[in-house]
Amino acid sequence: MKKTIITFARWGNYTIAFKTLFDQLGLEVIPPEKTNSQTIAEGAKIAPEMYCFPLKVTLGNYLPAIRKGANTIFMVQNIGGSCRQRYYGVVQEKVLKEAGYDINLLDFRATPKDIYSTIKKISGASTWQIIKAARFFFQKLKLIERIEKIAQFYRPREIEKGTTDRLLAESFSEIEKADKEKDFSKIKKEILKRFSEIKIEKNKKLPKVALVGEIYTVCDPTINFDVESKLGRERFEVHREMDITYHLKKLIFPWKDWIIQRKINPYLGSTVGGHGRDAIYEMLNYVKKDFDGIIHLLPFGCMPEVTVRPILEKIHLESGIPFLSLSLDEQVAEAGINTRLEAFVDVVRNYHQSKKI
Amino acid sequence: MTIGIPRALIYWKQPHFWETFFKELNFKVLLSPPTNKEIVEKGVKVSDPETCFAEKVFFGHIMWLDEKCDWIFIPRLKTNAEKLEYCPKFFGVPDLAKILVKSPILTETFDEKKEKFKKTLGRLGKKLNKGQKETEKAAKSAFLKGKELKEREKKDFLKQIEKKGKKIVLVSHPYNLYDDYVNLGIKEKLEKLGSCPIFIEEVPLEKTQDQKSKTQNLGYPKFHWEFGKEIMEKVDRILDYGIVGAIEISSFQCGCDAVLKEFVEKKFKENKIPFLYLLIDEQTGEAGIQTRLEAFMDTLK
Repeated sequence: MKKTIITFARWGNYTIAFKTLFDQLGLEVIPPEKTNSQTIAEGAKIAPEMYCFPLKVTLGNYLPAIRKGANTIFMVQNIGGSCRQRYYGVVQEKVLKEAGYDINLLDFRATPKDIYSTIKKISGASTWQIIKAARFFFQKLKLIERIEKIAQFYRPREIEKGTTDRLLAESFSEIEKADKEKDFSKIKKEILKRFSEIKIEKNKKLPKVALVGEIYTVCDPTINFDVESKLGRERFEVHREMDITYHLKKLIFPWKDWIIQRKINPYLGSTVGGHGRDAIYEMLNYVKKDFDGIIHLLPFGCMPEVTVRPILEKIHLESGIPFLSLSLDEQVAEAGINTRLEAFVDVVRNYHQSKKI
Repeated sequence: MTIGIPRALIYWKQPHFWETFFKELNFKVLLSPPTNKEIVEKGVKVSDPETCFAEKVFFGHIMWLDEKCDWIFIPRLKTNAEKLEYCPKFFGVPDLAKILVKSPILTETFDEKKEKFKKTLGRLGKKLNKGQKETEKAAKSAFLKGKELKEREKKDFLKQIEKKGKKIVLVSHPYNLYDDYVNLGIKEKLEKLGSCPIFIEEVPLEKTQDQKSKTQNLGYPKFHWEFGKEIMEKVDRILDYGIVGAIEISSFQCGCDAVLKEFVEKKFKENKIPFLYLLIDEQTGEAGIQTRLEAFMDTLK
């Protein structure tokens, strides 16, 4: 039998944590290629034309890894309830096979039990080993999410421009290198210490902007043209609630969904798949917290987000909060996004100023 | 009291059902006219640019009904009797309509995962101040009407099958098949070109297969969408009837069709049946479709 070499769907900075998970299980991993215009073009070429953007992106990420020797792909289904994400696995397997790649696609449901049994089958690791690997994975994931959040705070306040982004990149590569769990707490401490040493302007009241929308586009800076740090460099404090932990928490504790539904009842009476409801809930929350702008990110034609967009626009009209909706796909160019962001930045600044008076 | 029903999208899932139901309950029913240019333009103007064409048409119908009736009826269809889901875009339709129109929206959630269809109908009746018995009676005659329609469709289908000529199957959702403005009168066009088109919707299924018990490879995933399962099963069935070509019609930006098309196409290709994929939207021109249909007809044996 051929040796199993794994690759998986890339997801922003969290890819590091996923790689660790497979590494720790003793599996051979070739991480998916970093997203760039070339991989996107390559993915879009073989993907179904009408399918949503993340499918094309992840396909493009697999291809270089497959050429390097990967033969097994991990794909989770059922992340988004009713939406198309459920069929990513089958459709990707179909198009890859049609394109002449001989791969084995492991399609599993996002339940702890299903994930466990799939991992167990492929790696043959003991339960203890899986628990240990999962623990290390969560530690890394948590740290990545934490420093992303810290960076959102430091970036607009830093005195020497670019320090935070540099430090962030350094930290990610350090986290990626760490392969022993027992050394990890030391690395973590060091990284956090370095962040706390960044010189910042204190007590500065900055305009606050929030990112809402589809989880994949919101979390992956390579897809959304790094909106988060672009706004940060414009001296905006950026917030976002969507990350993997948020999603996992919702999977395990369903009452979060009940709370959301109760809060958004006047606007939407039912789930629409994906994180459609969450976008409305978050936007209402941000309006209440007196934010200065909302950016809505979605892949072009994303079913849940397109359904809720008129509702978000309604909230925007009711509250007056600046709102920008960006649909992303393989046709979108960075220059176009930049122009729209620049205009939005001006609107937000004006809005922030007008509130002071 | 007048209840307005838009003649689009959900209407075509169960034509005549809601009409009969409300008429039996002694309401006046105002059905929006067949889709025309004005309705489409109105719909395109008010709805989100990225939503599917079928939904844009639907909003056009709602705009037409606005202020012409006391209520506009838009059900929230979630799951059907087989516990399979409808398109997720249907879930949010009543709420989106509420933003657009001044007339109040009459809605009820039909989720058979939680509640039987008839029970939900009872609740709808209560909302309209009608008693249990009245509602049940109205529902009964509405169901009868639906059955009648099914019978007629079956007869239609058998008649069509027996005809001599190039049999072409049209695969799509009912709201694309039956709305002649939306599909640019494709049926008529095909007939003029000397073929006999068959709607996939009219293909009779003796009994629907239970997906769960099936273990053999069907060549398509287990769809959690009702239309996904239905269309795939009907495609499987139509292959026995000696068709020579297949056309799939899809509204632009229909997310579900992006998935479905892959497997419909695969099925026909495996059976060596020529397959044409047509996307329709508000900008589709008659001439373009005509050219493509003519070219397609030439490829058929």
